[in-house]
Amino acid sequence: MSELTRPMTALLRRSAALVPAGHREWAEAIWAEVAEVPAGWQRLGWLAGGVRLTVREAARGHRPWYPLAFVAAVAATAWSAWSGPPGDSAVEINRIDVIAIAVILAGLAWIIRRARGPVADARLARVVRTGGYAAVLALVLAKSAVERVADAPPNNLSGPAVAWTGEAVFLVVMASYAAVILAFTARHSPALPATMAVGTVTGIALGVMAYLLGPLGFPLRFAGPWPARTYDAAMALGALLALCAPVMAGRAAARRAGRSRPAGAGAGAGAGARQGAMAGLCSGTAAALAVAVLSTATIAILPYDTRLQHWAGGHIGQWTPVVGQVTPILHPRLGYVAGNSAFAAGYLIVLLLGPLAGSAFGAWGARVRPGSRRPQATRPWPAMKRLLVRGKPAT
Amino acid sequence: MTGRPEFSAQTLSVLAALCAEPSAWQHGYAIARDTGLKSGTLYPILIRLADRGLMEARWEDEQPAGRPRRHLYRLTPEGLASATAALAYAPPPVKAQARAGLSPRRRLSTQA
Repeated sequence: MSELTRPMTALLRRSAALVPAGHREWAEAIWAEVAEVPAGWQRLGWLAGGVRLTVREAARGHRPWYPLAFVAAVAATAWSAWSGPPGDSAVEINRIDVIAIAVILAGLAWIIRRARGPVADARLARVVRTGGYAAVLALVLAKSAVERVADAPPNNLSGPAVAWTGEAVFLVVMASYAAVILAFTARHSPALPATMAVGTVTGIALGVMAYLLGPLGFPLRFAGPWPARTYDAAMALGALLALCAPVMAGRAAARRAGRSRPAGAGAGAGAGARQGAMAGLCSGTAAALAVAVLSTATIAILPYDTRLQHWAGGHIGQWTPVVGQVTPILHPRLGYVAGNSAFAAGYLIVLLLGPLAGSAFGAWGARVRPGSRRPQATRPWPAMKRLLVRGKPAT
Repeated sequence: MTGRPEFSAQTLSVLAALCAEPSAWQHGYAIARDTGLKSGTLYPILIRLADRGLMEARWEDEQPAGRPRRHLYRLTPEGLASATAALAYAPPPVKAQARAGLSPRRRLSTQA
């Protein structure tokens, strides 16, 4: 039994350091009384209870878990992205990618903690921050899997210069996404919790919808007239929703901001417009990130999944000519050829424009007077300018 | 204290143990022994009571020979009032035990 109690005693004593300072004495108190407890199962039970308490208190303080989870996720991403033949520019890009993203995510977290405080003490903020970081890392992982072959010879038809330029743009975009995620989930966030909630939920729904309508970045093709018409109708509806959802999110956030403003407080329209723009920004950011992650991951697994290849061959219009041209030579890589072009030309643009379009639509939605069909002001730029310059609501 | 305080059965048993000798400082294992609670259940209760200002805690003043200093607990005046009120609403066993100044385990052994 002492073989069990001795390491448990050591574990309890060491793990007490993980408990936030205000509650650390309780873990030390359990350890201090270990000798009082009769040896054997009773003492082991006492120690196990102590370890459970330290884990619970440490988790409540959120001290070790988030940094540890971040380090583990970055290590797993690096381990996956690192492999490849030496001298290959695609592999070099992937390695730079992982290192740069790790530095960006950790560095921005440190900077924004000083500017806007730690993560807000709310479940929503923690979920959005953790999910946002996980999505950025997942995108890096999927992108590295795609580019490992797509940017490697003989598929790198555009040359390494274009690949490096795309990489630089990608890193800048990801840094912007991380900054938005961190700032909006910080204790002194410029966005109200309701603004972040409505924007994030709307954005994720839009992203999933866009993915379902074109999982590989191409419009789908259907053989029969009814499936084709149904798909065309779904596409039209999806386009309408993509335009309306950020507007509605902006309007909902502005109305919520108006309700939460203290009675007698002035400048309500400006604050509402800012919350609307921020809801649209959340919406566009979440939508672009969701569709980019899902589609890039699908492209990454395409060459290894014959059922998916078969489905793609029958439903993607641009697919067949590429198959006809390159199948004899590059069959396993054909997914990457198509996928890389889709990623470079499509998802990077989506990632660039999604947040901008979302904030513009959100700000416009916030200006729409409830009950009126005409917008109060048709130019969203004053609100966006205020958001970009000051970044803080008046309330 | 206008309404009935919200305490779980385990918390009531801890309050009863602390009420047994309100002025005396008790250590965690003694309370665990009296209540029959495991450390993983007892200490979260003690933490909550301390956080709510119902119980005070301190370390033993002097370093005893052969063992570490113990963490000691007793109810604050507010805690004593809350505990008394809560135990007045409690089911008969706990209520009777509180009146008699006995912990649940002691009472059970008395009954046996």
